[in-house]
Formats: sequence, C-alpha cells, structure tokens
Amino acid sequence: MHAAEDNQLVARVVSAQDTRAFGELVRRHQSQVRNFLRKLSGDITLADDLSQDCFMHAWDKLQTFSGRGSFIGWLLKVAYTTFLQSKRKSKRYAEILEEVGHVTEIEDRHHSVQADEVSDLDKLLAVLTEEERAIMVMSYACGLSHREISEATNMPVGTVKSVIFRGKQKIRTSFDIKDHQHG
Amino acid sequence: MTSKIINMVDRMKDAEDRLLESMFAAPPIADDGFSARVVGKVRRRLWLRRLALPVATLIGGAIAIKPLTELVTLIADLSALLPQELFGIVTEFIPQAQTVVLGALLLGVCLLGVRSLED
Repeated sequence: MHAAEDNQLVARVVSAQDTRAFGELVRRHQSQVRNFLRKLSGDITLADDLSQDCFMHAWDKLQTFSGRGSFIGWLLKVAYTTFLQSKRKSKRYAEILEEVGHVTEIEDRHHSVQADEVSDLDKLLAVLTEEERAIMVMSYACGLSHREISEATNMPVGTVKSVIFRGKQKIRTSFDIKDHQHG
Repeated sequence: MTSKIINMVDRMKDAEDRLLESMFAAPPIADDGFSARVVGKVRRRLWLRRLALPVATLIGGAIAIKPLTELVTLIADLSALLPQELFGIVTEFIPQAQTVVLGALLLGVCLLGVRSLED
C-alpha cells in the first residue's frame, strides 16, 4: 500500500512536476534518509545538509526511478551517492588546504563533535569501514533487502552478503559477542 | 536431527539479526520544517529554470542588436550589386525584396558552412 502510494506520488511529480506530491514524498522518507546519513557521516548538521542535497538530486533524477524496487531503496542509493560525492569533495578540499599549508579544520571539528557524545552505536560503527557501515545501516537500520542494497550500492548480491557477514564478524570480535549468546 | 540443527542455526541468526536491528534502531526524526525547506528550494529552482530562457533570450537579443543592424546595413549595401532587372516587378510590391533575397542567400551559405563543418 505504502509502496503503491509512493509510486503514485512519483508519477505525479514526473508527469506534472507536482511540488506538493514531492513534498509528501520528502515528508514520508526524510526521517530514514536523515537517520541513514547521520549514521554514515556521524555529524548531524552535515547529515541534514546532505539530506537536502539528496532530495534535490532525487527531484532532478526522479524520472530514472523505474518503480520496480522500493522507493526508499532508490532514495537511499541517491543518499549514498550524495554522501560519497561530498566525501570526495571534502577530501579534495583538505588536500588543497594541506598543499597551501593549512591545518584541516573540517576533520578536527568533525571529531570534536563526535567526542562530545559517543553512543554505543557510534562505537559499533567505528569498527566498520565506510562501505561496511553503509551496508550494515541499510540492512539493519533501514530494513532493505540484500537485493535492494545491491542496487543501491551497485554491488553484486553475493558481495553485499559477504560485507554483512564481515561486518557482523567485526562487531562480534570487537564487542566480544558470542554466537550462542543470543538464542 | 539435521533440520533441527538448521532451524537452531536460523533461530540464532535471527536473534543476532534482531540484536543488530535493535542496536541500529533510531527514533524517527521529526520533520520540523525540513520538507518545507526542500520543497521551497525545489520551487525556487523551478522558477529559475522557467525564467532562465526568457532572460537569456533578452540578454542575447540585447547583445546581438548592434551587430544585427550593422548586418542589415551591409546587406542593403550588397544588394546594390544584384542586377536590378531581376527585381523589377517584385520591388513594386515588396520594396525590401533585394535585402530578403540577399539575406536568404547568406543564410543558405551559412547553413552549408555549418553542415560541412559538422561533416
């Protein structure tokens, strides 16, 4: 039902550039997108800026949504791409600053914000690589299927499964979680 | 026995997955004007796109008006070179016939030039 409504709203946006329908799509999915980007970036302000960029990209590319998968799966793909693009940009910016002899304030600020309140989830996410983090968050926080994650990350389903397996292993090892403990 | 073990493994996996889901779970984030901001941005962008074409046409027209008037003068000068007897009757009805014919000839030459460049 929810997916069908999403598809109807998308159709209205694509056919008539209906900003109200788009607003409804944003209202429905902003929480998941913002949560996803907050977990990925570890920075609330940055995540909200990225979420806005994500929805702007979604508006531009909405006609590419085929309607075969879930809309949230497609949206998280846009969010992940937006995150990677911003990461690449800030890396390039940091490199330029380093070249001209400036200290990279962005990274420092980022870490100081994190140091203020480190939740259990932050600790858990810290042991994962960026790719593992994205896939684990898509799977366990957003509830995407392996196929949806594979589409969102442009990875084969087998690779997604092995990344999740590796992520779980790391979490088990780092937090001393025993396999049989959670029966 | 084997199926029981498989079921147990599945149940253990499910439990682990449930644990991870609970660890990754986060409370929903309140909209607090977020969607209104996004829609506002989208509407501004739409307006800018709608305005861009007429504004660009106006600016382009303003820039092109001087060379265009010079071109018309040049065409008028060149039209004197055309044989007047060709336009005898036509110029009685359309005084600018010579200019129009010359302009059409120049346009044809330009189009041919562009085509040959594309090829």
